[in-house]
Amino acid sequence: MTAGPSETVAAEAAVAEAADPLAELAGQVAAAVGGRAEYAHGTAKIRVDASAWKEALTAARDRFGLVFLSWLSAIDWSNETAVGDPPDPPVEERYEMLCAVSDLDEGRLVLFSADIGRGDPSIDSLCGVYPGANWHEREAAEMFGIDFAGHPDLTKLYLPDGFEGYPLRKSYPLLSREVKPWPGKVDVEDMPEAGPDAGNGTRPSTENPGA
Amino acid sequence: MTGLVPMTGLVFWAELGIKMAVAAAAVPAIGMVIGYAEMKLSAHMQSRVGPYFAGGRYGWAQLIADGVKFIQKEDIIPAEADRPVFKWAPALVMLGTMALLVVIPLHPSRYGMVRDLDVGIFYALAVSSVSTIGVLMAGWSSANKYSMIGGLRAAGQLIAYELPLVLATVGVVIQAGTMSMQGIVQAQVAQSWPFMLTQFVGLAIFMTAALAELTRLPFDMPIAESELVMGYVTEYSGFRFLFFFLAEFANMFSMSAIAVTLFLGGYGFWGIPTDTLLSPLIVFAKVGILVFIMIWLRWTLPRFREDQLQTLAWKWLIPISIVNIIVTAVLKVVV
Amino acid sequence: MLAHHLSEAAVSVELETEGMTLNIGPQHPSTHGVLRLVATIDGERATDVRPVIGYMHRGYEKLAEVRTYPQITTIVNRIDWVSGFANEVPFIVAAERLMGVEAPPRAQWIRLVLTEMARISSHLVFMASYPLELGAATPLFFALRERERVLDLLESVTGGRFHPNFNRIGGVKPVYAAGPVTKKAGMDIPAAFLAETRDAMDKVESTCEEIENLVAGNEVFLARTKGVGVIPVEKAASYGVSGPNLRASGCGFDLRKTSDYLPYDGFDFDIPTGENGDCWDRWWVRLEEIRQSARIIRQAIDGIPSGPLQAKVPRIIKVPAGETYVRAENPKGEMGYHLVSLGGLGPYRLKIRSASFSNLSILPWILQGALVPDFIAIMGSIDFVLGDVDR
Repeated sequence: MTAGPSETVAAEAAVAEAADPLAELAGQVAAAVGGRAEYAHGTAKIRVDASAWKEALTAARDRFGLVFLSWLSAIDWSNETAVGDPPDPPVEERYEMLCAVSDLDEGRLVLFSADIGRGDPSIDSLCGVYPGANWHEREAAEMFGIDFAGHPDLTKLYLPDGFEGYPLRKSYPLLSREVKPWPGKVDVEDMPEAGPDAGNGTRPSTENPGA
Repeated sequence: MTGLVPMTGLVFWAELGIKMAVAAAAVPAIGMVIGYAEMKLSAHMQSRVGPYFAGGRYGWAQLIADGVKFIQKEDIIPAEADRPVFKWAPALVMLGTMALLVVIPLHPSRYGMVRDLDVGIFYALAVSSVSTIGVLMAGWSSANKYSMIGGLRAAGQLIAYELPLVLATVGVVIQAGTMSMQGIVQAQVAQSWPFMLTQFVGLAIFMTAALAELTRLPFDMPIAESELVMGYVTEYSGFRFLFFFLAEFANMFSMSAIAVTLFLGGYGFWGIPTDTLLSPLIVFAKVGILVFIMIWLRWTLPRFREDQLQTLAWKWLIPISIVNIIVTAVLKVVV
Repeated sequence: MLAHHLSEAAVSVELETEGMTLNIGPQHPSTHGVLRLVATIDGERATDVRPVIGYMHRGYEKLAEVRTYPQITTIVNRIDWVSGFANEVPFIVAAERLMGVEAPPRAQWIRLVLTEMARISSHLVFMASYPLELGAATPLFFALRERERVLDLLESVTGGRFHPNFNRIGGVKPVYAAGPVTKKAGMDIPAAFLAETRDAMDKVESTCEEIENLVAGNEVFLARTKGVGVIPVEKAASYGVSGPNLRASGCGFDLRKTSDYLPYDGFDFDIPTGENGDCWDRWWVRLEEIRQSARIIRQAIDGIPSGPLQAKVPRIIKVPAGETYVRAENPKGEMGYHLVSLGGLGPYRLKIRSASFSNLSILPWILQGALVPDFIAIMGSIDFVLGDVDR
């Protein structure tokens, strides 16, 4: 069992809240595509194998009316972070692909999730299922370095051509933070020297000996 | 007839020189007045104030200030531009505008217009296309894709609308029995009602086509600032831009003045003798009404698409104007 | 990029002429900022259109990973700056949902009123800019005048016209600036706000009438928009096109009716839908939505509950581990935040689902074979904001 925080509320929760129509739908979809449903905080998530990614979403679209592609992205689960706090407790290192699809009647949104290894991350492209996945996948590709097999044009979307690195990976440093540690010093004149009312520190003291 | 003044002698040349100077000076003056009117009118149509400070009151000197500003600006010519063509295009546009003013009758006397040609209306319609060449030159020579599309659109549009413009005037010529501008006005004065009453179809077509000729909304696709940035004037700056700017307003005047001459009775007005000094004022007042309508349309309507514009010209205006000609001709013979 | 494109310039079969590559943007009057379209055109008709985005990419998803939760509201404000307030709400609700706190009813209603005001102001910008793109300048002034009224109201409550930064986890920011002097009464919306809002809604509705009279009956406007840029509802869904663009295609899907991020369930309002999914329907749906928003605001200010503005939350906000996706019906469409927390001061990952990004992704499909003037008509009707596209 992986230790990702999203799994702290596991499949049992889905059963517990089965009264919720969304959880119920998630359970049905999961059973149909061979995945595992989770339901927490009003969000239904179905974990599928990366190999079944495209089939699962095709089934979701065709059999469950989840025709609306909300978004597609990824999470870099990593214990070593160049910026931000490292996860505590440690997580299993992987990329988690996420794809949110919804129906257009009751607005039931289901997140599909698939774990892919960190070595040479690759997954099937969804462009054939949801044409709108095109741009989302290009974004995920440039931001996480994930390869989408079968994508028609996996060029950079936001970043300039020739940009190196994958900015949303946890190992990618945030340059402005390298230059100026957080909290950054405010870009105005220095605060006054410690004077009689140093604890207040809002305005220079008139009794400042330097004045 | 004034058209038969012998073309020899010092008096003739002096007179012609003065008249031409007046016509040339008229272009910036007319441009400024109409430009100011457009600024103020559009402002009031949009719940704004418009020019306010220049000149002290009502911003009357705004256009003078603008003119001075344009002249002071750097005259930028794109590196890739076809320089002589680029430089002369605004001049050609201006030339067309000035040439049009030559045949506008303001007064029945021989001083009332620069030159009363026997084929006055024919001449007017012919020289009004000279500007087209200037526009096409400007679009082509700017070495800018937007300019070129704008120039080509202008060419296509002006060719399409030249035809209804000419056809719309034919009815008037049939009724008046002359092509002389003075003659047309005199015919209306003599019968004491303007041709507008019988040639209302012709007037509507003429004004529609005139708007297209002027490339003003709803027919401003050659400029179409939301599509083509500024169309054929994109690359122009400084006084060359000013030339286009003034030519547009002066053209509004001359097109309206031709419409006034053809359809609204020129300087004729019920109860006012035509040979007083009121005559030019009557013309200006009538022109003012038409110019106001043009400005009004400009700030109310969106623009057509290029293909819709062509459809309008070829499928509607031209057939209607031909029917108009036939009906006029038949009635002329019968009545 | 451009060179690559030039090499594949399309060839017209009939005339054997080379297509011309027209680079529209990133500086162009109608691209609403810094969108760039690389279009191969044959005469006036496009054979291929490729949008190039990213000129305004600010990396908010990365920045969110190094900020604390209260700090993030300042950056989410700037995603769709035309309706800054509406961007804050789903993020705050996501954080609240993970923390298990709920804002007091009065705070929720204030959020609702201000969200609808953001919708009105966003749609009024569309009402201003869209006719302008088709060449009619005058509606701009009518629409922007009214928008100013609404922005003034937003400012009187939040202190900001575009970037209110007004939502707090567990409530909204107490307002000190206006109202009576006693601190207790002062920590609320300004005293005159409700009356002024009622007045402003009257004026907004009469302006809608004015705009409709000025634009909707115009033959040229109809000729330019009817049947242009038709998006069938299935296409819209598969591209993730949402909001008014989706409803214009005939799908009456509105997250205000189906989601519970704000207490919309007690309100009586209609979801306007179009019939053909063309530019005209997209224009009309937005005009109608302004009226519906005004209707919602009237009901809200009539029945706004009293009570505190802020629920009890810890002084230092830590969000328990978990993940949730909260989506909201923003003026431009579905705006959502997928928030993954590991229990720290800031999120581990914040995926921002912005409406304009998905709405714009349909451009290559819909502009295929369009005329250059229709580019502008179609792009304008989609009503995107580049900050919302590039994030």
